[in-house]
Amino acid sequence: MIGFLVNRLLWTAATMWVVFTITFFLMRSVPGGPFDGERKLDPEIKRNIETRYGTNDPLPVQYFRELGKVCRGDLGPSYKLADYTVNEIIAQGFPVSASLGTLALCFAIGLGLPVGILAATRRGKLPDYGSMTIATIGMALPEFFVAPLAIILFVFVWPLFPAAGWGSWQQLILPSVCLGLPYAAYIARLTRTGMLDVLSQDYIRTAHAKGLAPRDVVLRHALKGAMLPVVSFLGPATAGILTGSLIEEAIFAIPGLGIHFVQSAQQRDYTLAMGLVLLYFLLLSLMNLVVDVLYKLLDPRVKLDS
Amino acid sequence: MPSPLLQVENLSVEFKTDEGALRAVNDVSFSVAAGETLGLAGESGSGKSVTNLALLGLIPSPPGRVVAGRAMFRGEDLLTMKPDRLRQIRGRHIAMIFQDPMTSLNPLMTVADQLTEMTRLHLGHTARQALDHAVMMLERVGIPAAARRVHDYPHQFSGGMRQRVMIAMALSCKPELLIADEPTTALDVTIQAQILELIRELQEQEGTAVILITHDLGVMANSCRRVAVMYAGRIIEEAAVDTLFYKPRHPYTLGLLNSRPKLRSDGASRLEPIPGQPPNVALLPGGCAFQPRCSFAIDRCRTDRPELRPSPEGSRFACHIDVETAPTHLPEAAEVRT
Repeated sequence: MIGFLVNRLLWTAATMWVVFTITFFLMRSVPGGPFDGERKLDPEIKRNIETRYGTNDPLPVQYFRELGKVCRGDLGPSYKLADYTVNEIIAQGFPVSASLGTLALCFAIGLGLPVGILAATRRGKLPDYGSMTIATIGMALPEFFVAPLAIILFVFVWPLFPAAGWGSWQQLILPSVCLGLPYAAYIARLTRTGMLDVLSQDYIRTAHAKGLAPRDVVLRHALKGAMLPVVSFLGPATAGILTGSLIEEAIFAIPGLGIHFVQSAQQRDYTLAMGLVLLYFLLLSLMNLVVDVLYKLLDPRVKLDS
Repeated sequence: MPSPLLQVENLSVEFKTDEGALRAVNDVSFSVAAGETLGLAGESGSGKSVTNLALLGLIPSPPGRVVAGRAMFRGEDLLTMKPDRLRQIRGRHIAMIFQDPMTSLNPLMTVADQLTEMTRLHLGHTARQALDHAVMMLERVGIPAAARRVHDYPHQFSGGMRQRVMIAMALSCKPELLIADEPTTALDVTIQAQILELIRELQEQEGTAVILITHDLGVMANSCRRVAVMYAGRIIEEAAVDTLFYKPRHPYTLGLLNSRPKLRSDGASRLEPIPGQPPNVALLPGGCAFQPRCSFAIDRCRTDRPELRPSPEGSRFACHIDVETAPTHLPEAAEVRT
């Protein structure tokens, strides 16, 4: 187990380097730079800026300088948000996005799992068709439709929650529900599929033949196996949901990371974009690692190769 | 004669399919006395397993449904019993062993968990008692180092050992009836004999009655006193095991016996398969279900379905003709009576 973890972390580091390299050259191969604007800058000023940020050094020099800084954990100053370092932007935005994401994820699991189990155990009956129809709609509806609809319903028609902002727990509810809904729908469908698969296994018949109550058969004998597809989905999904959603954060005026993902790329904010890509990738790797370990815990037959 | 432990009368089971209702078990009656072993033989799809799953309410429903019959067990009808009551009988009074021990044990739970949950449920054991009992049962079925291995997962056991675990589990509440559904089919031949011996040993010690479902006539001959042969959802012959082997009355039984490999020295003896395929129970012919494959068939077989009738040897069989004297039609079946 220890060997497996060490091995995986080393691989993560190596892959991070590859991601860094690709991102570095990809960003710089796109036309335009962080200091190109609609107005032409005075050449003198532009030269000063470029000297300050080192963007007119040869690319290999920049590459190794940036790589060295990233290795020391310093993502450098943002090229666009001049008063901030990338570390500061992430330190401010990530906790916001992550807490919103965590809440959304809890909501998604809390809703999706029971619904999926219910649908599977009532297969072909009304609860099954009903919930799966809603789940399909839930997956298909875009965030920019659901969120305004939720605001109309629960802010104006039935004023339960504040419309937007960040700071109080009431402000967390609507955005995390809206963010979690499509995930809940996915989880419900995956749970149902996983459950149906497990329920058709021979050992479930054995469990019934032992005289166990249907509830015990489902919860004790079937649930663990049914969770496997959900767990594999949740790995990458968690990485995505924790790093924020552009649309939710824009609609609910939440100072998270989502907006930076888009803007840093559009504005050629090389350092910020690099920081976000690395953050997302690190999370993704860690979540996949967690998934593998969870797999081992759920299914003793799984071998963790180191 | 004391009343039997289990008395099944006129059991019929249907499955709803796209081709319409399909009668997998048709008017089946048999009984099992306390402590005895009844063999249930027949090809795949003849309804052996469905019959027994129906007794415990284990056929998937829908599409399966018991449409008629009674199954009296300890004075109660298993087929009309409330689900809660039936659950108290499953595992406690009637236990089952399935064909494939690779898939019949839960791969995600330890053997200890799977054994103890049964005695905790039915016998009210505490966790400690249940674990001691589980270890004791594993020792009885011959699992070495049971106290340590009880905490292993099924995949850490070999196939034969897993079937031993299944048997330990099935017998852990001392059921009156054990239904063993092809318990040795998935195992190596050398292991098969051990498992059958084990079942017989435990059966003698506990006085458990056994319904042994198998298509292996050799297994039947060694383990059972009485055998019922099923074909296309019906029992077509039922006899004491010696009678069945030496004086089979139904042409199908005869065919089964002749299709076994024989240890004879008279040169190139070939296996004699029963011609044709097992029937699709959705498209049964009129009259006798076996008639299209039967080398004795007469015109009457195509129109009248034979009912079970007694033979002089005390067996029951469902056939119009007397296989001892009747002529056969198919040349490849000419040697059937030798």
